[in-house]
Amino acid sequence: MSADAVVVGAGLAGLTAGVRLAEAGLRTTLVGKGPGAMHLAPATIDVLGYAPDLVERPAAALPSFVAERPDHPYARLSADTVAASAEWLSAHMPPLAYVGTLEENYLLPTAVGVPKPSAFVPEAMAAGDLRSGSRFAFAGLRALKDFYPALLADNLSQAKLPTGVTVDARAVHLSDPGTEADVSPLGYARMFEDREFRSVVAAELLPRLEPGESVGFPSVLGLHEHRTTWLDLQDRLGRPVFEVPTLPPSVAGIRLFHALRDAFLAAGGRLLIGSTAAGAETKDGVVTHVVIQTAAARPTPIEARWFVLATGGFAEGAIFLDSYGEVHESVFGLAVSGVPAAGEPRFVPRYFDDQPMGRAGIAVDERLRPLDADGNVAFRNLFTAGAALGGAEPWRELSGNGLALASGFAVASAIVEWAS
Amino acid sequence: MDTMEWVRGSLDHCVKCTICETFCPVSNVTPLFPGPKYVGPQLERFRTDDGSPDASLDYCSGCGICTTVCPQGVKIAEINSQARAKMKAQRGIPLRDRIIARPSAMGKVGTPLAPIANFFLKNHAFRWLVERTLRVHRKAPMPLFAGRTFQSWARRHPPLTPATKAIVYFHGCSANHFEPRVAQMAVAVLEHNGYRVIVPRQDCCGLPLQSNGLFDDARRYVRKLARNLEPYARRGYDIVATSTSCGLMLKREAREILELEDDEDLRTVSAHMFDICEFLLSLHERGALRTDFRPLDMRVPYHAPCQQQGHGIGKPALELFGLIPGLEVVDSDVACCGVAGTYGLKTEKYDIAMEVGAPLFRQVTAVATEVAACDSETCRWQITRATGIPSVHPVELLYRAYGLS
Amino acid sequence: MATLHTDVLVIGGGSTGVGVARDAAMRGFSTVLVDRGDLATGTTGRFHGLLHSGGRYVVKDPKAAEECIHENVILRRIAADCIEDTGGLFVSTPIDTPEYADRFVEGCRAAGIPVEEIPVAEALRREPRMNPLISRAFTVPDASVDSWKTVWACARSAQAYGSRILPYHEVLDLTVEGGAVRGALVKDRRGGEDVRIDADFVVNASGAWAGRIAAMAGCDATVLPGKGIMIAMNHRLVNTVVNRCEMPADGDIIVPIRTVSVIGTTDQKVADPDDWQIARDEVQKMMDAGENLVPGFRRARALRVWGGVRPLFQDKAEGADTRDVTRAHTLLNHRQRDGVERFLTITGGKFCTFRLMAEDTVDALCAEVGVEHACRTADEPLPDSEPGRYYWLGSRVERREPTLHEDQLICECELVSRRRLEAAMLRRETVDLDDIRRTIRLGMGPCQGGFCIYRATGILHQVEKIPGEAANRSLLDFVQERWKGVQPILYGDQLRQARLDDWIFQGILDVAHLPGGWVGAA
Ligand SMILES: Cc1cc2nc3c(=O)[nH]c(=O)nc-3n(C[C@H](O)[C@H](O)[C@H](O)COP(=O)(O)OP(=O)(O)OC[C@H]3O[C@@H](n4cnc5c(N)ncnc54)[C@H](O)[C@@H]3O)c2cc1C
Ligand SMILES: Cc1cc2nc3c(=O)[nH]c(=O)nc-3n(C[C@H](O)[C@H](O)[C@H](O)COP(=O)(O)OP(=O)(O)OC[C@H]3O[C@@H](n4cnc5c(N)ncnc54)[C@H](O)[C@@H]3O)c2cc1C
Ligand code: SF4
Ligand code: SF4
Repeated sequence: MSADAVVVGAGLAGLTAGVRLAEAGLRTTLVGKGPGAMHLAPATIDVLGYAPDLVERPAAALPSFVAERPDHPYARLSADTVAASAEWLSAHMPPLAYVGTLEENYLLPTAVGVPKPSAFVPEAMAAGDLRSGSRFAFAGLRALKDFYPALLADNLSQAKLPTGVTVDARAVHLSDPGTEADVSPLGYARMFEDREFRSVVAAELLPRLEPGESVGFPSVLGLHEHRTTWLDLQDRLGRPVFEVPTLPPSVAGIRLFHALRDAFLAAGGRLLIGSTAAGAETKDGVVTHVVIQTAAARPTPIEARWFVLATGGFAEGAIFLDSYGEVHESVFGLAVSGVPAAGEPRFVPRYFDDQPMGRAGIAVDERLRPLDADGNVAFRNLFTAGAALGGAEPWRELSGNGLALASGFAVASAIVEWAS
Repeated sequence: MDTMEWVRGSLDHCVKCTICETFCPVSNVTPLFPGPKYVGPQLERFRTDDGSPDASLDYCSGCGICTTVCPQGVKIAEINSQARAKMKAQRGIPLRDRIIARPSAMGKVGTPLAPIANFFLKNHAFRWLVERTLRVHRKAPMPLFAGRTFQSWARRHPPLTPATKAIVYFHGCSANHFEPRVAQMAVAVLEHNGYRVIVPRQDCCGLPLQSNGLFDDARRYVRKLARNLEPYARRGYDIVATSTSCGLMLKREAREILELEDDEDLRTVSAHMFDICEFLLSLHERGALRTDFRPLDMRVPYHAPCQQQGHGIGKPALELFGLIPGLEVVDSDVACCGVAGTYGLKTEKYDIAMEVGAPLFRQVTAVATEVAACDSETCRWQITRATGIPSVHPVELLYRAYGLS
Repeated sequence: MATLHTDVLVIGGGSTGVGVARDAAMRGFSTVLVDRGDLATGTTGRFHGLLHSGGRYVVKDPKAAEECIHENVILRRIAADCIEDTGGLFVSTPIDTPEYADRFVEGCRAAGIPVEEIPVAEALRREPRMNPLISRAFTVPDASVDSWKTVWACARSAQAYGSRILPYHEVLDLTVEGGAVRGALVKDRRGGEDVRIDADFVVNASGAWAGRIAAMAGCDATVLPGKGIMIAMNHRLVNTVVNRCEMPADGDIIVPIRTVSVIGTTDQKVADPDDWQIARDEVQKMMDAGENLVPGFRRARALRVWGGVRPLFQDKAEGADTRDVTRAHTLLNHRQRDGVERFLTITGGKFCTFRLMAEDTVDALCAEVGVEHACRTADEPLPDSEPGRYYWLGSRVERREPTLHEDQLICECELVSRRRLEAAMLRRETVDLDDIRRTIRLGMGPCQGGFCIYRATGILHQVEKIPGEAANRSLLDFVQERWKGVQPILYGDQLRQARLDDWIFQGILDVAHLPGGWVGAA
């Protein structure tokens, strides 16, 4: 097979890069073992949430954040790139309008009732913003085991909020129709797409709401017809309705995945889901092929001019730690930085303490090209994006999707610029 | 072979992310099936050779989508198949499953009696009787016998001369007995591109036996087939298949599900096996595909069946269609038509299969001006049965566009 | 201060202690059992899971071997529900001394352990993942046994016979009057109140801590703590207990128990029985040992690691290698040894000999107080056990199947349903999810609580009607408890899982910023 550009990884980073490359007219092949973290993550674009204290204004916080952390991927991505990537996303995904700016973080309730900082959020989540204080009712669904509104409300009432802000939260448990005891978030998303179901839910909920209360639902308000579903509920209840992300699978994330995948295919991209990139061929400091494993017992090389490594971090297995404590990058055999010296502990016994391996990943130059162990560019035409990047601990900083989006966006810019 | 790479060992990679569940066409339409994560890597930890008491496992259609999408590399559908085979071995395999699992045997009986057999297959009373006795749903799609097999046509078909290149064609049972036209068109398209087409003697690949839990019989068939094809592969010939599911059986499924990784014949065959569209597209990428296509003015819904997606090669048919002027193709984003081989034929699963396929049928009905296109025979029959719209193999559109008819 | 009166006070809620409490209660004594933690949180809850046939000890320690096979037969009769009849194999691997096998067979015969040599090919057919280079294979009646289940069944039986079981009650001191032990001063670690327990007789069954308890009465008992670590692998790499046919060594046994297979163990003298640190080189040693028994072991998924401390009695505190101390049990009569009456210490032994240890202890107790009651524990099955009806790996699946549509699955890995979880919460009178875990295996599977901890906390908050802050503490403690046992073996697949769990806890839920916060946080 051949292409102009091959992207390895179908997460937010890979698809963002893929869509932009394909739309720029490059013949782009995207190889993904499966979909990535989008199916699991809340779909909010968190740029920077903790540094390590709560970040209220990411744009203002970024300069000192990267100054203190010169190896952080944000040190290679300007704030303008981050903002541009978010703008690109919302402009590009009409069914998924995003709201927010880099100037200020929203504070959205998590499913345990912690106010969580996010910069760009799906519009159906925005009404959960806690910064202005408000009265909230959180709706529990009978057969959904992944949402506990009473605990959420209890914690929210105790939550640390900006001075002067108070939140009044309570739970309302619904006994929606149906007989199954265990319905998945996706199952509920389908049910909510049904008008009849919505009208039953609204009829049960409405009399139990108090004036001035906004209503939070678990993030299950429709999949393919999300917007109509959400707006219709809002209409029926006559007040703001918002979604609260909960355990995987993430319906909101699947919407984002669908939107990006469709955009990629519409732009003529070739999508290979279910095949694994198992190696590469290189020559004179340049990658010439990525070798993928398909169903047949033969390696399938894909020839291209540019390559993007967007395989996620340790979570997806393309970068892995073996039982001897050694780290490997399995597609291009890249050096992995941030790994403690042999014999040093990789992890420490207290979970919330600083974990020595936390920031391990691929180190890159200012154009996001991987560096070898000596700090030189490993391959001139190979770029890295997303959670594979080292130097960040995105689950602590709350910077995962921000990094993935901005870096995916940036590598595409670099390649497009090179191509023209 | 390394035992950690066995199908069962892959359960270790599962991180419980539920991605497979969000894709499973069956658990998405019926609560009777608890889903791939549950019956796959999760319950496998509770299984020993004594089997498993989870009858709900049998609702897995074996479509393989879960394995295709699992980002961690868990061989979910394969785990399910193996577990189901053990379960069936313990509980007994219904006569129905033993019969529908043998298309080549059915073919051998039915072909000479085609007019009579087809009369019965079209007869409502007969189908009702079959449903009552064998639990094959009376409305389920059943192919009709062609009367003359592709093999007997091929034996009399003069080889292309002069030809500089040769290729082996694996037609599978269905093209042999039910759809020899598809096979003949495949031969014509390959010959049009300068290939001499070799059609070795071949019998069933064992896939239907495997999916009905008859592993020992399946192994016998697939080994024999591999033995017949291996000499060509060893000499460097590529092998193309028009049956995407049987092609996948030879590429990977037999090695994994039937634990035949050590079978050298099979490995060699797998290394040379191509889906026909995969092969034609690779010709095109090398500049070796003829593109003298005439316009086809129609709008065609294309459905890449679940087994096609299991090849991990994307959707080459779509790219080939892109070479045909005038042809407007609408790709279905539906994962499965529901029938999944023989699953949708079974009375207790027919409704589920129809519900799985419903969005596809709606799309086909809305889009098609003349025909729908799909790579797998059972899926084509299902689409046609459900929508009344004729469904064709992608090579048929190429054949027509080449003006070979 | 509350005061309790009882005939017999048993100190220690491990297998030995509950065995003694049950036996004494069955013989008509009123009994109280105390443990500083929950039941089976000492060595009993941190063992390897092997119901020994005795084969392991036939050459080195024939007395222990005889005790094992004797009790193996009895436990199969009285505790079948806690035992999976996996059978056991002894195999000569390439690194083993070939001559050992013959001595092993001889030893088995002498100890009365049924042993049979089978062809290597047959052994490999039964256990296809085993090292194909083994040269000989023998079958013995090893099995796997669930210590939590056994201890809880014994405790329930003891309660039915009138015993009081007091978990989270720590003995601070013993009352010695007139040359006899009269009871103990105990601290209720949950309620915070001290309790005085007056007892006619005290049995010290505190395992590796027995020396400390004995010292409280001015008695001497030297118990050498011998630490061992075990690693649970994510699924059953073998379905039979596989032992190296060799003198006992590190990592020489893989026990298939429940959904996992456990490799163990090491033996290292430690000064403090509470020292359960896992050292990196110990883990590496286990991995190498695993490779020898099952090639590819290092690439299989390790789920969790833990350490336990053997109570090995030695009359003199010397001796470097604790492996050389007998595994048979020791009963110390402190009247004879130290001149302190009404006080016995029972220590050493094995999990699988706990019933015998209890029988010997209560026999001695009867002799001391001058009564005669026959022991019945060898005949009366534990609650829920029926002779011959062994635990079966598929049983949770079997129970789940008919309730698929009626009950939610909360812990998906270990198939814990919502009803079962709620029942356990109400029965256990605890808001500690870790206590619930040990009762029903909540959060013990591959995801190590990634998915079920949030669910269980939400349910706990509802069922127990506790304030959010208490629920949060339980959640955070459980997260920490799970981390502790995976971090030393985090590599490969388990690291992928840990990353997903990081994202669930810190990304989706942001638990680090819960009100109340993490008490242990820096
Ligand atoms: C449960 C969860 C919750 C999260 N919550 C948040 C949040 O609240 N806020 C936030 O900002 N971020 C969150 N994130 C993180 C964020 O979603 C990810 O950091 C980010 O999406 C990383 O994207 P990525 O594209 O780099 O990698 P991924 O999404 O991990 O994608 C990696 C891709 O690479 C593929 N791949 C890997 N190896 C190979 C190979 N060898 N061959 C072919 N393909 C391969 C995978 O199949 C996958 O498609 C969360 C993530 C998870 C899992
Ligand atoms: C690594 C390892 C593997 C093993 N594997 C096996 C095996 O496979 N098969 C087998 O049969 N045996 C095995 N054993 C041996 C077996 O586990 C022990 O012999 C047995 O569990 C000891 O039980 P116990 O009740 O005597 O001690 P414990 O279970 O330790 O009970 C003592 C109790 O006393 C309590 N206590 C301590 N101090 C106080 C106090 N001040 N107040 C109140 N309570 C107190 C402790 O909390 C503890 O619960 C193994 C041991 C180890 C270390
Ligand atoms: S099998 Fe794969 S997709 Fe399914 S839950 Fe496990 S890791 Fe996720
Ligand atoms: S094979 Fe198909 S039906 Fe079976 S579990 Fe996987 S996705 Fe579902």
